[in-house]
Amino acid sequence: MTATTVSAARQSAPGWFKNLRMLVSGQEGALTLSLALLVIVVGTANPRFLAQQNISDILLNSSYIAVAAIGMSAVIISGNIDISVGAMIGVLATISGQLSIVPGMPVWISWLVPLIVGPMIGAVTGFLVAYLRIPAIVVSLGMMSILKGGLILATGGVWIYNMPPEYKLAQQSFLGLPVPVYFMLALTILAALWMRYSPSGRAIYAVGGNKEAALLSGISPRVVLMRVFMFNGLMVGISSVLFATQFSSIQSTVPSGLELTIITSAVVGGVSILGGTGTVIGATLATILLRAIGNGMIFINVSAYWLQAVQGTLILVTVLIDLLRRRRQAAQIRG
Amino acid sequence: MSKKVFSAILMVALALSVAFVPAVAQDEVRWVGADDLPVSPLECPEGAPGAAMAEEPMEEPEAAALEYNGGQPVGAPDLAGQEIVLVDVPKLIGIGYFNATSLGMQQAAEELGNVKVTTDGPTQGDIVQQVAFIEQYITQGVNGILFAANDPVGISPVLRRALESGIHVVGYDANSEPDAREWFVNQAEFNGIAKAKIDSMVAEIGPEGSFAIVTSSFTAPNQSRWISEMWAYAQKCYPDLKWLETVESAEDQNLAFQQTQTLLNKYGPDMDGVFGMSSVAFPGAADAVAQAGLCSPDDAAADVAAPDEESAVAIVGLSTPNQMRPFVENGCVESVVLWNPVDLGYAAVYVMRAVVDGTLTPESTEVEAGRLGKLQVVNGSEILLGPPFVYTQDNIADFDF
Amino acid sequence: MAVTERPSQLTEQSNPIVSRLRAVVLSKEGILFLIMIAAMLILSLLTDKFLTTNNLLNQLRLVTEIGLMALPMTFIIITGGIDLSVGSIFGLSAIVMGFLWQDSGWPLELAIIMCMVVGTTAGFMNGLFIVRVGVPPLIMTLATLALYRGMALGVSEARSARGFPDWFFDLGQRQFLGIPSQLWILLIAAIIAGIVLARTPFGRGIYAMGNNELGARFSGIPVRLYKLAIYTFSGFMAGLAGYIFTSRISTTRADMGTGLELDVIAAVVLGGTSINGGSGSIVGTMIGLILIQLLKNGLLLGGIKGDATIVIIGAILILAILINNLVQRRTGGD
Repeated sequence: MTATTVSAARQSAPGWFKNLRMLVSGQEGALTLSLALLVIVVGTANPRFLAQQNISDILLNSSYIAVAAIGMSAVIISGNIDISVGAMIGVLATISGQLSIVPGMPVWISWLVPLIVGPMIGAVTGFLVAYLRIPAIVVSLGMMSILKGGLILATGGVWIYNMPPEYKLAQQSFLGLPVPVYFMLALTILAALWMRYSPSGRAIYAVGGNKEAALLSGISPRVVLMRVFMFNGLMVGISSVLFATQFSSIQSTVPSGLELTIITSAVVGGVSILGGTGTVIGATLATILLRAIGNGMIFINVSAYWLQAVQGTLILVTVLIDLLRRRRQAAQIRG
Repeated sequence: MSKKVFSAILMVALALSVAFVPAVAQDEVRWVGADDLPVSPLECPEGAPGAAMAEEPMEEPEAAALEYNGGQPVGAPDLAGQEIVLVDVPKLIGIGYFNATSLGMQQAAEELGNVKVTTDGPTQGDIVQQVAFIEQYITQGVNGILFAANDPVGISPVLRRALESGIHVVGYDANSEPDAREWFVNQAEFNGIAKAKIDSMVAEIGPEGSFAIVTSSFTAPNQSRWISEMWAYAQKCYPDLKWLETVESAEDQNLAFQQTQTLLNKYGPDMDGVFGMSSVAFPGAADAVAQAGLCSPDDAAADVAAPDEESAVAIVGLSTPNQMRPFVENGCVESVVLWNPVDLGYAAVYVMRAVVDGTLTPESTEVEAGRLGKLQVVNGSEILLGPPFVYTQDNIADFDF
Repeated sequence: MAVTERPSQLTEQSNPIVSRLRAVVLSKEGILFLIMIAAMLILSLLTDKFLTTNNLLNQLRLVTEIGLMALPMTFIIITGGIDLSVGSIFGLSAIVMGFLWQDSGWPLELAIIMCMVVGTTAGFMNGLFIVRVGVPPLIMTLATLALYRGMALGVSEARSARGFPDWFFDLGQRQFLGIPSQLWILLIAAIIAGIVLARTPFGRGIYAMGNNELGARFSGIPVRLYKLAIYTFSGFMAGLAGYIFTSRISTTRADMGTGLELDVIAAVVLGGTSINGGSGSIVGTMIGLILIQLLKNGLLLGGIKGDATIVIIGAILILAILINNLVQRRTGGD
């Protein structure tokens, strides 16, 4: 309920000043502030953190996670969750890599196929969730299992190497920044615009917020859910291409724990797990923040053994700051 | 209102814990992994700074002195010369390394003709799942179990149960407690690997260079043992080597890539080399160095932008040839240290066959292992595969696994 | 498969006993039980090694830890919450126990108690933040998933605890009255949890919270206290499981139990507990737990390898819920 009051306030606050204030006080603002704070603290302690190469690397390594987190945000906003994304990335990256080493295969096909197979897997998940009404956590747990086992069955875990040089999309740079960073930026903006301004995008919030109300206002939750899971599949597909084209060889197993990283990014980004609120911009910022934390902690010599604990604490702090902010805002609006 | 106060206190506490970060910051490099097990660094090579200092000859507490200390199965049927069914439970399935050991086992089984071996195991290197797998195969009733332990202590109870059920147990790659198996095929001693790695690194960066380590996880027993042996060997033989830090990368190529990038950015030209400690970490680290354009310049085949000798970063590590082939072929990686895992799997099956046939007994000092010839018994109940193997540009084309 | 035969034999409605039976059989747990029996029958046809007391008991030994953590998880999921940090609490408490004994020289008995204390405290912290600060459970436990695991790593500096005295293994590796010792604990805990959930005001409060938290609060249920209690309980059970696990495996390391939370959640949701809250039962959870393990075991004994087994289990997880959904919808049971 706090979220609806906030968004109501957002709409009733015209003027650039108020807009700016809202921007700073929104979750995006909180994340930007945390990020700025981190950059200042770590940058002062070790200026090498601020080197262009390091910033570029942080952005590069955030990209594939951020793209997947965009899809995850949509899923979570619709009131669902997808635990199978890590396994999907593993499977799609392997498919892409396998295609790229087929002699005579144009390289764009190996980029395109994951973008088709991804939504197809998403459609299966979506169908089970939307039409057969199986909870998304069950479907995606099952899917994860099927994809993980299936991948090893199919490949025997043999790594893929000798991909043609032109395949390695993620290793290209444009204007000094790696290509995946542009993907991350463009997709974040497009997805944000879609979800905020188009009716089909708004419908996701409606379904996540209140299914009955959505139904009454003429939105079919089933269609919306199908669309959300297929959209997620598409994002995971793009993410997997960025993932696969980054290296000289592809590890054809499922990277363990990847789904947790993606879900954490979406959730820290302010996507309420209860559905109905959040933005993908927050998710992308959160991905960058989490990556910068992981990177920055090494720069300031945090004991490697305590690194995970410090990361966990910082995640908690970020979440708490956001929570207190929301609460204060809600109090202000009420009062 | 009390709620507000409460949350404020919590926030302060959390902020404090963050401020506490410098307190837990590492002030000196030390390596405490590997359970404080004793280390035994090998002799320094000729010309190493530490070679002169190692005056007292290290008395080696090993070899013939040790009595057989393995376990024995209870009431195992006599199947000498008959067909036996074996199961191989590696740390995890679906990685190049254990695909290679599995391949070697199939080769041995084919040669012997009276052995059937299947490989099955968890998809993650997880001791809990591995124990469950072995448990199932005991119930299923195989004649022998080959294993590579995710944890030396954790795997032992279930292996003892296997022995009690009359199943022969032989380990390879990663050991259990000695009495929980009959024999262990040792691919190379920890100190041998450590020496090979440090020597390879020194050959590239010189005895006063500086390096960092990208390992899989601090809790991985083999990797931790290697690192502590490397630490001991480096201190003994190359006291001026600068050990920068060690970072984790799970079994995730991408994470290894990211961590290496971070190290490269952090130390810049102050870091001369990186160790990739696992077959997943190594290619990830190599990719990071290659994509940063920091491959060593003195290779004719290098098609990467050659930096000057100063800023080049050497990469040394353990991996399988296929995973490292692109880097070795373009000269980015000069040497890959590893025993031949195909031979390791091959030897494990031969050892098992010899145990079942009764030709390898606690009194034996060597065992016949097909194309590998005779292998020596060391440390009481271990069979040594041989010194570690170094793959280079010249020989890597001969291997496909 | 067994499910399709069922409606025909239960067409009679006049007899009260039959209709009662019908209600039991057609309940979520009933359907799941039938699926389990069907699976066992098929698996026992695949191999004669499967359906033996020894094998079955041994399999249950392997899932005791997951089972113990699944009990509080059932409560939590019924309230509409979740606890993703159980695997990490499990790892942290076991590590603290090991190192208090190994490094700090505490008596092992005291270290074992501390194992439960640490687990309980960790769970209590989760609960405190959830009820007092209002952090959504998923977010809170996602953060502590990383935090507690990180603490385990930091405390142990990645070393393992090992070399426990022989009596320490009694619980994890030996038998008591012919049954693996730890199974007694699971059995007793499951019975208590089942009674508490089904027969006490506390249990009814849990369901009420899951159905309508605001309503539950207005009807005088101490919602916050109950929530705090179940997350603390979850931490305690994770600590207990950590102890039993260490006793079974005879060593522990900071990374033990990574990813265990998903196994726990899988058992609970397969057992028919709705992830949206409001419904579920301990009986269902236990059947879910056993079904997954027996499938793993039976398929393997039947000669199907691990990778294929994962695929089949994933499919069955979805199918079982699907079948149950269809049956419940047809009979209007849900």
